[in-house]
Amino acid sequence: MTTADALREFISRELPGGRPVAELTDDFPLIRERVVDSLGIFQLVSFVESELGVQVGDDEVVLENFETIGALAAFIEAKRAG
Amino acid sequence: MAEVLHALLERAARNRPGHPAVSDGGRVATYAELDQRADALAGALVDMGVRRGDRVGVLLEKSIDAVACLYGVMKAGAAYVPLDPRAPGPRLAQVLADCDVRCVLGSGDPVGGVEVLDAAAVPPTSRGPVAAPVASEDLAYILYTSGSTGAPKGVMVSHANALAFVRWTGAAFGVTGDDRLSSHAPFHFDLSVFDLYAAAAAAATVVLVPPEASVFPAELRRFVAQERITVWYSVPSVLTQLASRARLSPGDLPSLRAVLFAGEVFPTRYLRQLMSALPHARFANLYGPTETNVCTWYEVDRPPEDDRTIIPIGRPIEATRVAVVGDDGRPGELYVQGPTVAQGYWNDAARTAARFVTDPRPDLPGRWYRTGDLVEEAADGNLRFLGRGDGQIKSRGYRIELGDVEATVYAHPGVVDCAVVAVPDELVTARLHAFAVVDGDVAGADLARFCTDRLPRYMVPETFELCPALPRTATGKVDRRALEKAALTPAAKRQ
Repeated sequence: MTTADALREFISRELPGGRPVAELTDDFPLIRERVVDSLGIFQLVSFVESELGVQVGDDEVVLENFETIGALAAFIEAKRAG
Repeated sequence: MAEVLHALLERAARNRPGHPAVSDGGRVATYAELDQRADALAGALVDMGVRRGDRVGVLLEKSIDAVACLYGVMKAGAAYVPLDPRAPGPRLAQVLADCDVRCVLGSGDPVGGVEVLDAAAVPPTSRGPVAAPVASEDLAYILYTSGSTGAPKGVMVSHANALAFVRWTGAAFGVTGDDRLSSHAPFHFDLSVFDLYAAAAAAATVVLVPPEASVFPAELRRFVAQERITVWYSVPSVLTQLASRARLSPGDLPSLRAVLFAGEVFPTRYLRQLMSALPHARFANLYGPTETNVCTWYEVDRPPEDDRTIIPIGRPIEATRVAVVGDDGRPGELYVQGPTVAQGYWNDAARTAARFVTDPRPDLPGRWYRTGDLVEEAADGNLRFLGRGDGQIKSRGYRIELGDVEATVYAHPGVVDCAVVAVPDELVTARLHAFAVVDGDVAGADLARFCTDRLPRYMVPETFELCPALPRTATGKVDRRALEKAALTPAAKRQ
């Protein structure tokens, strides 16, 4: 499974604002559409750390990295490569 | 003209028709536009049969039109019941059934068994004000909060109650037509009453906080700066994030002149950080359960000396009396009497009678609200909040009855016994930890999903721990202290 698909599945299944996987395209605005809210961001960060094995610094929890599934997957891949 | 909440909007629309009333992202509605829109919505509600004294649910994400909906319901003579669009269906159904709404103003999606008026489909033009009869004693809104038995309870607030609070805030914080107030709290949370109506009373502008600013501290800082917010009001957990993670430096956010917080204790360490970063702003702690809106306040006039300083909840607001009921000179339960004290709980005479009491003591004549909060009066006359005498806790400013959460866990067919405890947490006040004894093949994740489907997100425990039995005290009660201690240590590290 790709990183984006893993994120899509987690967000769809576990977050209260989650939507069907098909709606959660790579460029779907997760924050603006309130799929990820102030509680959801903590769940999402801990999923990325524990299930995808990438540590996220406090200063990396910013809109640019979490705005869409595409942006978050790119951030995770960059961390893995880096 | 009756003294009613929506008269604030009508007066602002007459006196400052072209002034921005609500700003949401790039969109702005002037007072004239907001008032006309509210008239149109009120007309549509009256056409649907809404009458004075009815309840109308409002199930919408925050937006300019959602604000118009609140006013529209009141203009139709009804009380609005703001609903959380994120709440699970069964919880919404419970609330809607309890307050017996005439209809719901929503986005067109069906809501279990209730007539829904699609707000967006109401034509923008109106035939003018509907002039529904309404008195200041009528209910303006009903706010549902967590109830200890698993059923949320509706706090009934009259126009007079809300206006007493709004008038006090206008005087205490000098809100003027030049102010720009943030609107952070959702409409089903009573902090929104300040944002919306203190702004309308002064014909000032209320600016809706966008979703990204609630999630990311850096976006919050950008929002306050770009929108030139002058008055901020929210729960402390948001401000804690701003203080600790937004990299503020002195001189930032020069427009921000007042920072008001309520709902829970502001960790002093972060309050000190925020006050040193914003030396030009005044800070005030507002205290009050939903049943009193705000009943006491404390102006933090200089940064606390050290992290251990406790911020008082202060003294009563205008025209309000408080009493510490316990042994003389000792901590006791806080009782409140005054114009902001609510009318009681909707459809629940027993609970109303238990909490809204008349002549509780010979020296306390009249009607009082028993907060259930344990307080003490300091030598300087300021009240200090000490805690709760029952199972109510605060998390991220939300009020949660542990019994409400436990009742939901119990509802799972595989659960034999359960207890939910609050683990203290500096950033969010408390995190919930559930212990459950189960029969058969039930995992913690199953219970988590079960609760997520039935409870508002902030009430779902973060941890579900299965155990063979709950510890009991000598009298056979669940030993909550032992569980609280256990919850502080990860299960794997316990002896």
